[in-house]
Amino acid sequence: MATVTTSTPDWSGRRSTLASIRLAVLTFLADPQWLIPSMIAPIVFGFVSYELFLGSPDLVVYVILGAGMMSMWGQTLYGSGWATGQDRNLGTLEPTLSAPTPYLFVVLGRILWNVVSGLIGIALVFVVVVAVSGTVPSIDNPLAFTVLFLFTMFTLAAVGTVFAAAYVYTRYAGFIQNVGEFAFYIGTGCMFPVIILPFWTNPIALFFPPSWALDALRYAAIPGYVGFSWGLGWDVVGGIGTTVAYLLIAGVVFRRVERHVLEVGNLQEY
Amino acid sequence: MTSAPAIEARGITRVFQSRKGFFYQDVTRTEALRGVDLTVETGEIFGLLGPNGAGKTTLVKILTTLLLPTSGTARVLGLDVTKETEALRARIGLVLGGERGLYNRISARENLRYFADLYGVPYAEREKRVNEVLAWVGLTEAADRRTEEYSRGMKQKLHIARGILHRPEVLFLDEPTIGLDPKSARETRKLIRSLIGQGVTIFLTTHYMFEAEELCHRIGVLSRGRLAALDTVAGLRQLVGGDRTIEAEDYGFEDSELAAVKRLPGVSKVVSEEYGPVTRLTIRVRTGDLSVEEVGRSLIGHGGLAVRERRTSLEDVYLDLVEEETN
Ligand SMILES: Nc1ncnc2c1ncn2[C@@H]1O[C@H](COP(=O)(O)OP(=O)(O)OP(=O)(O)O)[C@@H](O)[C@H]1O
Ligand SMILES: [Mg+2]
Repeated sequence: MATVTTSTPDWSGRRSTLASIRLAVLTFLADPQWLIPSMIAPIVFGFVSYELFLGSPDLVVYVILGAGMMSMWGQTLYGSGWATGQDRNLGTLEPTLSAPTPYLFVVLGRILWNVVSGLIGIALVFVVVVAVSGTVPSIDNPLAFTVLFLFTMFTLAAVGTVFAAAYVYTRYAGFIQNVGEFAFYIGTGCMFPVIILPFWTNPIALFFPPSWALDALRYAAIPGYVGFSWGLGWDVVGGIGTTVAYLLIAGVVFRRVERHVLEVGNLQEY
Repeated sequence: MTSAPAIEARGITRVFQSRKGFFYQDVTRTEALRGVDLTVETGEIFGLLGPNGAGKTTLVKILTTLLLPTSGTARVLGLDVTKETEALRARIGLVLGGERGLYNRISARENLRYFADLYGVPYAEREKRVNEVLAWVGLTEAADRRTEEYSRGMKQKLHIARGILHRPEVLFLDEPTIGLDPKSARETRKLIRSLIGQGVTIFLTTHYMFEAEELCHRIGVLSRGRLAALDTVAGLRQLVGGDRTIEAEDYGFEDSELAAVKRLPGVSKVVSEEYGPVTRLTIRVRTGDLSVEEVGRSLIGHGGLAVRERRTSLEDVYLDLVEEETN
């Protein structure tokens, strides 16, 4: 009788996430076209927001947070979805989905990598702004700032996950995202505090975890900052709450989307 | 071991709805599969033939959990393809033909490592397994080159390497030799055949009759979403009226001569085709003792007449079946 040697399969979400990070790094090294969004864009953002906030006392921190976060946002959100779009283009979405591991773990790996590479952007903005303004910013509460900074990255990743699902759903996700992206920059307070925007935009911004996190971050960084009236503590609570909601949505949406594409059969479209 | 068949499909249908236009949506319904029943036994090589658009790829995707059927049920290795997908995916392999489906900026080795992780090849064995399959498909030398530099044949071999990396019990191959030169195609077929020795069940689709004939134990002919036939090669030959084919060639035949040939004992079908000035009659003979000479006698008066007998090829069978289905 013929024999098939099957050893117990050894797949896990963690392993797939690590494999996905590795693939992202290798792809990045093989083709450094990402240098453009991760280097040029932050520099441009840096100059633009410098002009915008000229005359404000906490100019430097505003600029770094604004431009830096814009760059981060672009990296995590755009990059995460982009990679799935790329899977569609290459025809690798089908072999990836035919593996036993849920695709969510692959996306997670990419988002983590994008968060890391987004940090390079922030560092660049920092260098540019310090060079242009000639001042090194002082942070009000460095410990809180660091913790909140990491938290902000996490909230960005949560939104990125939901967006990546859209790319699995349809090949038109890129179009939707391009249209929506700029609105997001402003709506979430990446660019400047949500509080200075027209009143009606505020409730919308609150649907996005990064709005809360960024407001908290500004409280921690800028002495005398006036953001959301409920203050830093509730910002953190709101940030955690919305992030958890996003992660839950991502989990559900991903399962639905994976099912949906099997129903429609559009995996190979690009 | 379970004695359940490797693949069991019952009443599989699949309807695609595609939309066109933005404001006025035109919905087109395509019935890609219209009730497919089929069973493939463990250790068998099963071949699926059928014209373009017959639904072969659709069936493969349904059986490999990449597409949901509109109705019907299918089990592979006893697992429901729509419900027990995770468990099933770890135990089956899929090779989709063509240029796409690889990360082209990175090497073949890195492609394989990545999929080994996703498919859960035991980590301790990963490098060994990657090297093994690379050697098996003959890509050891090129293993560290980016796959964008690969020829079509090399890509196809890499697809197959990826397909068997996790040692699947059932391997699905959708047109594994498409676009390959005869030598690469032959090598690929050799690889496929060698899997059988290892007990892998194989389900393959192809457009090449000889490939199916050479590799497969049983063959299904899919036509417009339905199985027009499913049998061994010998069985299929019987199905279309006999094992023998006699060909007669000359510069044109009269209708009366055609009628006379059709009336000969044992003749089940006569097809007339023109090749430039030459007309060829293909005469299907239900096993009997009609001889080439008798055919020649009924076409008397043709100076340059050539009559010969050949074995009914799978291609004859296939064309007959597909023709029947379209009429
Ligand atoms: N995602 C899809 N959306 C809409 N129609 C589809 C889709 N996939 C396949 N079809 C249609 O379903 C039918 C069967 O297609 P399928 O790809 O299964 O054929 P096939 O037998 O594999 O053909 P080929 O030999 O050309 O590969 C075709 O009419 C095709 O146009
Ligand atoms: Mg096909």
